[in-house]
Amino acid sequence: MKALVAMLFLVVANVQSSERPGGLLTENAPIDDPLGSSAWNIMYNVHIPGARVVFDDRVIVMAPTSAENPMSVPVMVDASALSDVDKIILVADFNPISKILEFYPTRTLAKLGFRFKIQQATPVRALVHTSDGLWHMNGAWIDASGGGCTAPSMASGNADWASRVGQISGKNWLRGHNMSRLKFQINHPMDTGLADGIPAFYLEQLVIVDQDGAELGTIKPFEPISEDPVFTLDVHATGSMSLWGRDNNGNIFEAPLFPRS
Amino acid sequence: MKLIKKESIPVSITNKPGAGKFLLALGLAGAMGAPVAIAGVTTKQIENDQASTGDVLHYGMGPRAQRFSPLTKINKKTVAKLVPAWAFSLGGEKQRGQESQPLVYDGKIFITGSYSRMWAVDEKTGAEIWQYDHRLPDGIMPCCDVVNRGAALYGDLVLFATLDAKIVALSQETGKVVWSQKVGDYKAGYSATAAPLIVKGMVVTGISGGEFGAVGKVEARDAKTGKLIWSRPTVEGHMGYLNGKENGISGTLNATWPGETWKYGGAATWLGGTYDPDVNLIFFGTGNPAPWNWHTRPGDNLFSASTVAINPETGKIVWHYQSTPNEAWDFDGVNELVPFDMKKNGKTIKAAAKADRNGFFYVLNRENGNLISANPFVSKVTWASGIDLKTGRPIETDNRPRNPADSDDGMKGEHVFAAPSFLGGKNWMPMAYSQSSKMFYVPSNEWGMDIWNEPITYKKGAAYMGAGFTISPLYDDHIGVLRAIDPTTGKIKWEHENPAPLWGGVLATAGNLVFTGNPEGYLMALDDSTGEVLWQFQTGSGIVSSPVTWESGGEQYVAVLSGWGGAVPLWGGDVAKYVKHLNQGGSLWVFKLSK
Repeated sequence: MKALVAMLFLVVANVQSSERPGGLLTENAPIDDPLGSSAWNIMYNVHIPGARVVFDDRVIVMAPTSAENPMSVPVMVDASALSDVDKIILVADFNPISKILEFYPTRTLAKLGFRFKIQQATPVRALVHTSDGLWHMNGAWIDASGGGCTAPSMASGNADWASRVGQISGKNWLRGHNMSRLKFQINHPMDTGLADGIPAFYLEQLVIVDQDGAELGTIKPFEPISEDPVFTLDVHATGSMSLWGRDNNGNIFEAPLFPRS
Repeated sequence: MKLIKKESIPVSITNKPGAGKFLLALGLAGAMGAPVAIAGVTTKQIENDQASTGDVLHYGMGPRAQRFSPLTKINKKTVAKLVPAWAFSLGGEKQRGQESQPLVYDGKIFITGSYSRMWAVDEKTGAEIWQYDHRLPDGIMPCCDVVNRGAALYGDLVLFATLDAKIVALSQETGKVVWSQKVGDYKAGYSATAAPLIVKGMVVTGISGGEFGAVGKVEARDAKTGKLIWSRPTVEGHMGYLNGKENGISGTLNATWPGETWKYGGAATWLGGTYDPDVNLIFFGTGNPAPWNWHTRPGDNLFSASTVAINPETGKIVWHYQSTPNEAWDFDGVNELVPFDMKKNGKTIKAAAKADRNGFFYVLNRENGNLISANPFVSKVTWASGIDLKTGRPIETDNRPRNPADSDDGMKGEHVFAAPSFLGGKNWMPMAYSQSSKMFYVPSNEWGMDIWNEPITYKKGAAYMGAGFTISPLYDDHIGVLRAIDPTTGKIKWEHENPAPLWGGVLATAGNLVFTGNPEGYLMALDDSTGEVLWQFQTGSGIVSSPVTWESGGEQYVAVLSGWGGAVPLWGGDVAKYVKHLNQGGSLWVFKLSK
């Protein structure tokens, strides 16, 4: 019964984000799922309908086999062994909202660290798009006790949460020639809208720019990203950078990310 | 792009003006869901809203807010056949007062609801198109229920004000936020509940918070981007701004406020405004001066308890009319000033009318603010015996609460009985002016109060009142009275009594009907010449919102929100016996004639 309800949630949530109205969501994907997930066909039809896709072990998804804290599961996706990556989608098959984020590595390595909320045991799956139009897929199973997406955020239990929203802390470190590692955190409740009485309230756009204002990379987080999100990535730039963010209520956040001295 | 030169600094939630440019420079504006509005509702359409029958583009059914429709299919003869077409539930557990006026455009009905929520609903079927739930901080301080009074349309945007004192602009199509701007600090008691006014591509808004010493202001922003164009404070001594530059203080410092009292002077512009293209003036009413204890602020206390007329280009006050100088009873002057052309003695006067909380119905010349007439519109007014037409000032009756300094311990002044009560002869609920009958239809209430003053000092975020009060009905069988008033004489042509206080807006039509709802839950249609109730329908919860009408596919529709709440159940005192049995709700009802 529980699985059925979860499946129902999954379908409802996913139908809203379908890019191909009218398509049968359970239609077979062109390849079998190496992760053996019953939701693979749905993930395919919702997130990359009709697209060419291959399993590719050059895409690495590093995640714990079991989630210690369902509100914050660390994941690192690394597709830097592929060339010409222009978009990466992360999905969790059995989360009520399956899409975790989109990442556009304009002038960064195709590699990103983040944390997300897990609802139950699920594969976390990376779909990596290269400029030749092919999607490269791989993923990892994470076991979980559950409840990460439908629990209220920590912020919602703190009457003063609003005064912290949008505080940004972060730095970058020199990692070689024209290469820096960037790590930053933004205080934000990242409410999924699935906890009773708390509207969805989440960051939906993060842009990293160099000191001339040119884009280095863009992350589009979705509801499952953890509260007070932390991101780590490697950019093809050095010196001062800055972060610009926007949430679904139209609040705008902006802060510099200085080199560590 | 401007960056703050500090490491790891907290960044506040503001939509910085630079951010838009930054996005465009990146060439990512489209991808970020911030397209520039080019199509959709125009200034011309908004100014013509009242005459255009296929839509409802603006609060008040047009920026003049006459709430009149030329439609006649639903009329005295046919209204008996009015039946529900569909109803839409606002859902959730947040069933509080629903004071919103629907807007209708391009097949969609836009409504706002309690707790800063908004919906787009399919006009034909009542199916939800989208819902936006604003994430509110825990610390908001709305004085009088978590209401919202309606949205505004401009271009492809739909805009509304939120309880945490922001204006949010959403895509009409998707409900996604395009821009958001803070208009006040909610921690200092600022809030916003009124429907925005659209004037020449600008979104013009006021601010709530008069009970917390917030300083009233009227602000105009570019409706497409949210960029602030001008700001005009409504308390004497505060600086106005135009395009980021100082634009002169309002009034003359310390002319009508002694010492530092102007700094937290109230005069909140919490009910929004009206605009008349004929004279190119924006009219905003202003709330009570702060604190309530009038002994602390000798003087007229401009521009509190007034109507101010503001030029939309300069952001300056062109004229003002103060209905209650040195106000002492919470007689906010916020009530809507409704422009209309008055024929009297063969001449047409560019007039405007206001049914003030203080119990008088004022007719002004809207070009210069000169008083034409003022007559009581409720049965009992204790604080003034009349208004001097030469000076425009009230003739007071020594009915002010006494000075706490004169009491034995200095803590509580002698109380007085005054009518109307602090909730007013008329409160927020908007009246209508019929171009057919040439009458105003005013929702009014019959109540009085005991009021006394206490010492008070300002503290950020705390109630700044210095007064106590108890409200009581004047009659044992009714509080509410809908009245038809002839603006040429000030005389009342008919009255319709209602047991509970009236708290909803009025709509007049060329079908010689007047529509309004009551807290008992009925939407009613009355004969505009006699006040006879010709039709009514029970909506399941109290009506405290404003009905609208429009035409689509050859049929005339009427829509109203149902959902009991507002200030009465919170502040009602002895009034409770009239309202305590009323149940919560939250629905949009749409009616049409049965075939």
